Amino acid sequence: MMSDDVFSLPSSAKAFPQQLAEPNPNPKLNANPTSKKRRNLRGTPDPDAEVIALSPKTLMATNRFICEICNKGFQREQNLQLHRRGHNLPWKLKQRANKDQIKKKVYICPEKTCIHHDPSRALGDLTGVKKHFSRKHGEKKWKCQKCSKKYAVQSDWKAHSKTCGTREYKCYCGTLFPRKDSFITHRAFCDALAEESARSVVATNVSSRNDLNGDLMSRQQNLAHGFSGIPLLGAGFRSDYTGMAPAGNSDQQKPGLSLWLDQVNSQLNPVDPNSNLFMPNMMQMASDNNVSDSSNQFSWLERTAASANYTLFPQEGLKEEAVISKGAESLSSLYSDTKNVHSNSSASTSMSATAILQKAAQMGSTESTPTFFRNPLNKSELHQVFKQQAPTNTTAINGLDQSIQRSGTAENQQGSANLHSGFRDFLGMSGEGGAVPFFPPELAKFASMSSAMGLSHFSSNH
Amino acid sequence: MDRTNSVSSKEAAFLHVTNPQNNGIHLEMQGTNCRQPQNSNITGLRSPDSGENSDGKWASRLLIECATAMSEKDSTKIHHLLWMLNELASPYGDCDQKLAFYFLQALFCKATDSGQRSYKTLISVAEKSHSFDSVRKLILKFQEVSPWTTFGHVASNGAILEALEGEKKLHIIDISNTLCTQWPTLLEALATRNDETPHLKLTVVVTTSIVESVMKEVTPRMEKFARLMGVPFEFRVMNGLNFLGELTKDSLGVQEDEAIAVNCIGALKRVDVEERRAFIQMIQSLRPKVVTVVEEEADFSSSRNDFVKCFEECLRFYTIYFDMLEESFAPTSNERLMLERECSRSIVSVLACDDEVDCAGDSERRERGSQWSVKLREAFVPVGYSDDVVDDVNALLKRYRTGWSLVLPAGADDVGIYLTWKEEPVVWASVWKP
Repeated sequence: MMSDDVFSLPSSAKAFPQQLAEPNPNPKLNANPTSKKRRNLRGTPDPDAEVIALSPKTLMATNRFICEICNKGFQREQNLQLHRRGHNLPWKLKQRANKDQIKKKVYICPEKTCIHHDPSRALGDLTGVKKHFSRKHGEKKWKCQKCSKKYAVQSDWKAHSKTCGTREYKCYCGTLFPRKDSFITHRAFCDALAEESARSVVATNVSSRNDLNGDLMSRQQNLAHGFSGIPLLGAGFRSDYTGMAPAGNSDQQKPGLSLWLDQVNSQLNPVDPNSNLFMPNMMQMASDNNVSDSSNQFSWLERTAASANYTLFPQEGLKEEAVISKGAESLSSLYSDTKNVHSNSSASTSMSATAILQKAAQMGSTESTPTFFRNPLNKSELHQVFKQQAPTNTTAINGLDQSIQRSGTAENQQGSANLHSGFRDFLGMSGEGGAVPFFPPELAKFASMSSAMGLSHFSSNH
Repeated sequence: MDRTNSVSSKEAAFLHVTNPQNNGIHLEMQGTNCRQPQNSNITGLRSPDSGENSDGKWASRLLIECATAMSEKDSTKIHHLLWMLNELASPYGDCDQKLAFYFLQALFCKATDSGQRSYKTLISVAEKSHSFDSVRKLILKFQEVSPWTTFGHVASNGAILEALEGEKKLHIIDISNTLCTQWPTLLEALATRNDETPHLKLTVVVTTSIVESVMKEVTPRMEKFARLMGVPFEFRVMNGLNFLGELTKDSLGVQEDEAIAVNCIGALKRVDVEERRAFIQMIQSLRPKVVTVVEEEADFSSSRNDFVKCFEECLRFYTIYFDMLEESFAPTSNERLMLERECSRSIVSVLACDDEVDCAGDSERRERGSQWSVKLREAFVPVGYSDDVVDDVNALLKRYRTGWSLVLPAGADDVGIYLTWKEEPVVWASVWKP
């Protein structure tokens, strides 16, 4: 049965918005048969339910329930009933009016552009409609202190504040982020789900020598950073790898990588349940690296030496990269896991001669690389630098030889002591005196030499 | 760390020299073993062991003396100081040693007139040693431990979102080397902010070759992420420019119906000093709805004809930067080392390259916010950040270690906001509208 009342329609009727927009301060009940009590999906109301259209003002009014006797307003129906008892009504009127005509009421959102403005998408719960209206179309007055996110509904804000900052975001790669923004940025760059990186570990080809060098550095740095003894595991295993794609990791027979893998491998031998699965991978990679052609390693050596052809700088840069990553990697393993010390020394004695040589070159190259900017242990090298601005090819290789000899002996010592002494030497702080007093005779000699190299325009005005 | 400091004080004890010829050099450094309190907020030294001066900043004294000697063309003094700096400098030591190292490099280039060659070599070294993986890791790690870059990102994103609210077709022109680390959060905001997600076109303008090669890897990732976020997305990298000054409106392909935002992060300083005004005019010709400008707060520009002054300013800025790096990263961090090394190019460029002769790349002559404002006012009107954005930035800073704060400018005419480290303004961010 349809009522003539223009303010309520069966929800199954498609009504025009204009009709429903009329403000209605009091919801009117209809004399309609009782509808079935049934819970519906949100926005798919019971077709027989009565659709109520409230103005925004009414909707958000806090005291909707009015006592018909004294016109006092209440937020909740129960409160109104409680109040009505106080009026000592006769029994008949105590009952709720139109009890038989209790009909399921649904409400539409007053906002015209909203999808829930359509009666067929009305919402069943008045409080729900209120919240919906606030959230979607209302002003956001509540702001979280920590993350400055804004909310229109106070309860939403409260709920958020309880959990804000406590939640951690976890990426597919396994890294945890306390902050949402850093998580988002990481996620955009993380390759964790990239299929191509998952399987191509062994298979990727490095196309050019340039890439080789760059990748070598990056891989060594990847290894170096934050690894506290956790081995670099092969394809598919992500959880400890801090967000960086292992794509192309340890796939090539990189000389530096082989050393590290050796160390790691010997460390892996104590059974680690997590990595059992991947031992075969590791073993294979490690053994591959052991067998790796020495020509590969030597050519890398030659190339860095040859690059000294350019000027002082590229040599410095390349070697520095190698040393830094090597040094830092060793350092980080030192700081974090003392077991590494033993594995260092044991690994070094079990390394091949070429590996030792190459490692020594890396460690020692900065000690005596005769650039102006290293602290040369050898003053004569410094003077050589001043003498010639020209290519330092020979001096570079001489320096390399010296460093190999020097660190060859040092190499057999325990890893940590070696490193520290290495750094001390590097910084010119070893006992025999990297700190050399500067004597006036030296100064004169210095001045005369450097005038030869072109600093002369400083001695005379031009 | 302690070892290095104690030794440098030992070395310092030796270095009492008077030059017989000149009588001018009188460097007296007495090593003491007592721990001296650090006077200034930012000192080069972590351990106060090597106090020869009350503030223990031997590096800055030596370096400035050397720079002064160079400007006076006092060759003996120059040699002496260069030699001493070489003995003491190290890229692996404490802040003083590092600063000594990198600035020594520039001084040497200046002395031997090899600035341009060195700069080119440094670039090629960097190219060889950088890969997508290493650069990505570096940037993300830096952003994780320091708000140096994320400050500008958050402020700019907030301003852009507000300015382009309600627009359906967005076109953001990103002139920066941030490798798109700014945009994931913006994409997320676009996706979640409103029910209707606008279409976003992102054009990234790059000039350096390192960035170019890395961007090849960034492109698919950005596109994938936008798909993940559900944002209709079009991405384009504009490379092939030798200099930012060459950028033209036509090459950017802006369309009439697009709402344009121009995002300049550390971009203006890369334009040749003489071309900056023209560059700003070019941006104006794009008719953007909003322009976001973020620059590091330093002045290497107005003093470029005064070597010592420029040197001092450069040293001041990088002292703060190195101190910030040291306190933000773990002591054994590889990333910090790499970031420090990245500075060497810019230091060499500013101090040892002659701007007239092409220095084979972008300029590095920073200017302060107040200076940029003067230029920008010719084409645009400054706009303040809304309270929401300021709140967002403050919330960001809270997530990092202490020492950082957001400072609103003092004067009524001053524009933008400043990020400060230990109360020194280091980054300036601003918003401009036509």
